[in-house]
Amino acid sequence: MVICGGVIKMENKTLKKPMTSRGTLGTVSWFFQVISGLFLVFFVGVHLYLAHIDFGHPIVFYDSVINNLKNPWWLLFYIAFVWVVTYHGLNGLKGILYDMGTRPKTRKYIAYILVAVYIVTVIYGTILAIIVSQIVIP
Amino acid sequence: MEKNTSESKEGILGWAKFKGKGVGYFGFTFQRVSGVVILFYLYLHYTVLSNLLHGQATYNSIVQSITYGPYDLFIVFDILLALVIFYHGANGIRLALNEMGIGLKHNKAFFVIFESISMVLLLLFLYYAWLFVAA
Repeated sequence: MVICGGVIKMENKTLKKPMTSRGTLGTVSWFFQVISGLFLVFFVGVHLYLAHIDFGHPIVFYDSVINNLKNPWWLLFYIAFVWVVTYHGLNGLKGILYDMGTRPKTRKYIAYILVAVYIVTVIYGTILAIIVSQIVIP
Repeated sequence: MEKNTSESKEGILGWAKFKGKGVGYFGFTFQRVSGVVILFYLYLHYTVLSNLLHGQATYNSIVQSITYGPYDLFIVFDILLALVIFYHGANGIRLALNEMGIGLKHNKAFFVIFESISMVLLLLFLYYAWLFVAA
């Protein structure tokens, strides 16, 4: 199998790859986009089940969230979730913004801004999760 | 790489030009649209969760108002959000398999199969989530 310019040549047949952000994001960035996306299928699946099906009544959601985060494994799960989902979202946004005919210089600024937004978001999310896990329910 | 970039220089409006481009382009456009919607919701979600710091009464009143009223219209947005999340995930798995060389010969069939499974899972999720809210 040979990968060449978005086209895979396999068994003497040429198969066109579907249109993605691979070309604009670059191979490494696209690779991490795919890997983080696969992790998110697991993270989002667990979160939707936990928060919307088997997690107590929404009115007492406050107690449920805090009790859940008091378990260090769930705290770690949600911190990792924040880091991965924010990366995936902002990296995807970078692909979209790059793919709109932006100049190389503009792309550099976009990258700097999105890295800054990522760092601020994950630090805030991590601190928020840790503080919330320490709250004593009245 | 350059060719892929130049194809999209029409900007966002170019995403909506599906004619003659097949199911792959449809999948590409809605992957991006759903991604932007989910990213917007993600930051909205972080904002709502920040209200946990304001205490039990504040946080629970927000959850209650968007679930049981007066802002229960929000449930419609929640359902639409679940729809785009399930769509985005299923199409994302298809693209990940494509990266491994799987499904390239039958991309349309893979799209239909993955999205069908995803929509069945969505209906199951909405059913159980509704039981949870209505309890």
